[in-house]
Amino acid sequence: MRPVVAFLVALALASAQAALLRWVGGGAFSLALALPVVVYLGLHAGNVDGAVGSAAVGYVVDLMCAGPKGLMTFLAVALFLFSRLAGAALAVQGRIGFALLSGVGTFLYGVLSLLFTRAVTPAETAPGLSLVGRIAVEALLTALASPLVLALMRRLDAVFAREEPGLLR
Amino acid sequence: VVGLLKRYRELILVAFLLVGPLGVYFAHAKHPSERSRLDRVILVATGPIEKGIGWAVRGALNGWYGYVALRHAHERAAELERRAELLELDRLELASVRAENDRLRALLSFAHVYPDRRVVGARVVGVRLDPKGLQLVTIDRGAADGLERMMPVLVAHGVVGRIHAVNPSTADVLLLSDRNSSVAVRVERSRARANVRGTGSPDLARLEYALRSDDMVEGDVLVTSGTDGVFPRGLPVGRIVGLKRAGQGLYQRADVKPIADVTKLEEVLVITSHERAEEAAPAQATVVPPASPGGLAPIPASATVKAR
Repeated sequence: MRPVVAFLVALALASAQAALLRWVGGGAFSLALALPVVVYLGLHAGNVDGAVGSAAVGYVVDLMCAGPKGLMTFLAVALFLFSRLAGAALAVQGRIGFALLSGVGTFLYGVLSLLFTRAVTPAETAPGLSLVGRIAVEALLTALASPLVLALMRRLDAVFAREEPGLLR
Repeated sequence: VVGLLKRYRELILVAFLLVGPLGVYFAHAKHPSERSRLDRVILVATGPIEKGIGWAVRGALNGWYGYVALRHAHERAAELERRAELLELDRLELASVRAENDRLRALLSFAHVYPDRRVVGARVVGVRLDPKGLQLVTIDRGAADGLERMMPVLVAHGVVGRIHAVNPSTADVLLLSDRNSSVAVRVERSRARANVRGTGSPDLARLEYALRSDDMVEGDVLVTSGTDGVFPRGLPVGRIVGLKRAGQGLYQRADVKPIADVTKLEEVLVITSHERAEEAAPAQATVVPPASPGGLAPIPASATVKAR
């Protein structure tokens, strides 16, 4: 269930983000609201559920970015693993910890996507490193907005969570 | 082997989800492919959400300016002041409607400059100027309105981009600022030829293949040359800034500031006819103005109008 919920939430967030950015800033800056969903999966989902859900979210980001398919899916699964490792090593707790991890994850995600795109694109169409500044702004804004995504995912988890039957049932 | 597979099945699945998409990416990067049917179905689902949010935001803004702000004014002012506030609000609304009419008139007058081309008006409903991906905006017209890939998209004062992907009721426009976007241009003053390519930043493009011997100076206006088979000739594209002419080499380098500010787009025109109509035929400009909450300016009788 979790992967399906993550996919639908990512689709809704990506669409909402596109529509809202048309009214706020007109595209002068960007957001990546789907990525905190991956971070959430990394911190709270199981290995299989989380990896499949992250791949589904990455597929949505792939569709929205309209570039060659696969890169965003790969990076989403990589972000899932990064979040899992960070969660295990640093005990990320609360909204601030989640926002920090989302910001750092979004920044690394953006920089890696830039580097991978540069690796396979002819020099004349390769994205310039000057875009790192825009990616940093995107990461900052995503970090600021990520507590809302955290609240949404917690609420959805509460709705869809199933209690496992215990020994006394 | 089965025991190992069972033991490490989670690890194998995660590794597959990591490596599989990467392989797909490198394959697609070398041989780009069209969107699959599943991709298109999913993207169609995003259209209503974007339109719905646009409708809600517009409604909330209308509600705010029409009611909440007025109630605030009621609390603050006496009767005459309240009336003044109402009149001021009306004046602002009229100014907003007039500004919208001016923009739509400009689009219509552009359509009349090219009477042998069919154009469709559209409203921008989504923006995706993502530094990681393509620079796209979504418009509220699609295949059902006759839009196809590669059709040029303009505003009254210049080039915006071209249609990148089409859904039944929406379309994605690849902006001039995208790094994959290249437009053949001429310097309006000296007629020197070059290309303008996006950089990924909304407010900056760069000039390519401009011969070092060509006559161009900072501030020169670049217009479409019509030789790229996408854009009609003579449309303003941008203005040269930061010209760098090295002591040697074949080409000179320059930055280009696009004429159309893609971060402030509201309505655009899409040229839907690829070829010129016959000279003898009467001018038939089919203008489909974008859906407007505030109403539209009167449209000349020579134009066939399909309002949504």
